[in-house]
Amino acid sequence: MKPTQSTLNPTLKMKSTKGSIRKDLVAYLIISPWLIGFLGLVIGPMIASLYFSFTNYDMLSPASWVGLENYKNVLVNDPRFVQSLKVTLIFVFVSTPLKLVFALLLAMLFNTGRKGTGLFTTIYYIPSIIGGSVAIAVVWRQLFGREGAINSLFASVGLDGLNWLGDPTYALTILIILVVWQFGSPLIIFLAGLRQIPLELYEAASVDGASSLTRFFRITLPMLTPVIFFNLIMQTIGAFMTFTQAFLITKGGPMDATNFYAVYLYETAFEYLRMGYASAMAWILLVIIGVITLILFATSKYWVHYEGGNK
Amino acid sequence: MRKNRNGVLIATVVLCTLMIGGCQTGSSGDGGNDDDVLRVAWWGGQERHTMTLEMIQLFEKKHPDITVEPEYTAWDNYWERLTTQAAGSNLPDVVQMDNSKLNEYISRSLIKDLSPFIDDGIIDLSNVDDAYQDINTVDNAVYGISLGSNALGVVYNQELFDEHGIELEDGYTYEDLKEKMRELGAAVGDGFYGYDLSSEFELFTVFARQSGESVFNEAGDGLGYTDETLIAFFQFVTEMLEEDLSPPHEITMEYIEGGESTIAGGLTGMGLIASNQIIGQQALTEEELSLSPLPALDGGVEGNWIRPSMSFSVTEHTNQEENAAVFIDFVTNDPEANEILQGERGVPISSEIRTHLEGKVSEEVEKTFGYLEFMAENSAPADPLPPPGESEVRGAFLRIIESVKYGQTSPEDATTQFRSEAESIIN
Repeated sequence: MKPTQSTLNPTLKMKSTKGSIRKDLVAYLIISPWLIGFLGLVIGPMIASLYFSFTNYDMLSPASWVGLENYKNVLVNDPRFVQSLKVTLIFVFVSTPLKLVFALLLAMLFNTGRKGTGLFTTIYYIPSIIGGSVAIAVVWRQLFGREGAINSLFASVGLDGLNWLGDPTYALTILIILVVWQFGSPLIIFLAGLRQIPLELYEAASVDGASSLTRFFRITLPMLTPVIFFNLIMQTIGAFMTFTQAFLITKGGPMDATNFYAVYLYETAFEYLRMGYASAMAWILLVIIGVITLILFATSKYWVHYEGGNK
Repeated sequence: MRKNRNGVLIATVVLCTLMIGGCQTGSSGDGGNDDDVLRVAWWGGQERHTMTLEMIQLFEKKHPDITVEPEYTAWDNYWERLTTQAAGSNLPDVVQMDNSKLNEYISRSLIKDLSPFIDDGIIDLSNVDDAYQDINTVDNAVYGISLGSNALGVVYNQELFDEHGIELEDGYTYEDLKEKMRELGAAVGDGFYGYDLSSEFELFTVFARQSGESVFNEAGDGLGYTDETLIAFFQFVTEMLEEDLSPPHEITMEYIEGGESTIAGGLTGMGLIASNQIIGQQALTEEELSLSPLPALDGGVEGNWIRPSMSFSVTEHTNQEENAAVFIDFVTNDPEANEILQGERGVPISSEIRTHLEGKVSEEVEKTFGYLEFMAENSAPADPLPPPGESEVRGAFLRIIESVKYGQTSPEDATTQFRSEAESIIN
């Protein structure tokens, strides 16, 4: 281990012998596929988009510098930006907690060690793999279409069907359900977290006569808070960037009721060719996500308990 | 240990070389413009792809010195792809162009003036009436060659109309349309509406022209209609919906997004289309469809016009403009090529080709030929090309009319809102 550490430490590089230069090279070569990808496909485009966000750029003609105008227009003069931000925030703050609650409940169920839990874990994980795909979006549109399965179900018990996706009041709800349904990855993480909780704690609590509810609130939940925190951060960030479902199922409609930030950004960039404006929107989204993540981190010291920590 | 590490080193070097090599093959396969392959791009459905590929094979057989590399996608991806290629100075040599996008490409100097090739006779337009090329000609420069003409028209279910004895006489007005739809609705019964209310922006374009105005002004830097006209149009739309003469908006949208048609689905009996779309509509239903002219505005003027349904343009990034011109001439004038293409992109602009195709195309295509002949006598000159930004104005229009159709915005408020949004987009 020691020699490897010294080769990766740049301050020691000057002292390296010929042999360790070789080792450096090997290290860089090994990470090079990732490094090339990171520089070329992540850092490069990010720098370009930062530059474009200060320009008027339509992709067909050269970009012209406009300073902060794009940012000003997005923040001050764009009612559709406000609408898309509103829809996105509702979506994030409704879908994320729901998804985590479902994931946790099922994880608890699967953690009882009954027969067949492995199979069910797999089954419940499947929506997360295919959930963001085009095929599921199409299925979803069929299910909730006017003549879809859900309305047939309603009709069979004598109820009038609703126009789920065409009605501005329901469309967002349907998308939230679709995303909540994809709780597989937090489920797996919760399951791993539950298995980390020492059984002795439960045994001791039982001996002291704690009910299962008490055990859940006094042992499971506190012990699980680091995992909950992790899931919360990941899912919140993911929810902010939701695109496929809204783009394919509702195209942001009806009447912008599901015009998520990412959908509006895409439309601005690729349909209306306002690349500069869209770049500014992307950086504003980055700041919004950053601020919300920071707030979550700030609150974490009041509710996240680390084993062996002060709290 | 040392040996092992060398192994890793070699493996990594090989991997990287492969990756870099892979990238290079990728980009040259994508067709950098320094090779001698003629790249031709178009959008369309499966049927068009098949026919165009077959036509390209024939072209390569007749011109063995030119190799064509096709690039084809659906409409949505097409423009994304083209803009990305434009940004990378890597546009295909020949691109299929839409009227609404043409000005964007002309104003950024991305497409070539083809008039030198027409003067040279490489592109032979001797059998083509100037009217068909009107929109593609700006200040004596020719920015595209029409792949076929079309015009807006009303497609209707002929069998249904005959069955119930309903007829649209020439010169019928918007009021007559409503009356006929009431009759038809009463005759057909529950679950039937009458008129398919989609393509609203196109309908408004005609409506404005019938009122003696136009959506955009002559200079292309502002709007060219009066608020009264748009209010009247929104009122017509509202009335159609209130009386159940058109399906509720969400039903229409569901059909459109599912790639279906309310006419083929038996919900409506007629609707606005571009004339060549009757071919796609007919494919969806057993019942016979026909084309009729648009409703007229009481006290208004002629509003419809003939336009290229789409054109081929040659881009500035090409290095083989002459081959591109030869290819375009082939599509325009070769009888065999047009037998393959079947007038699916629109009515061929060469009179000779039209004569040649008589009896060789399907009944629907014959109907588009007949309709365009009628249109040649009954149309007004085209408006100038819409300004760049038209697609965003159209997007705003569709959003606002959606809210009118849901009854959430009054025609008056919607008119004010559209004017302010459209003006801020164009300026």
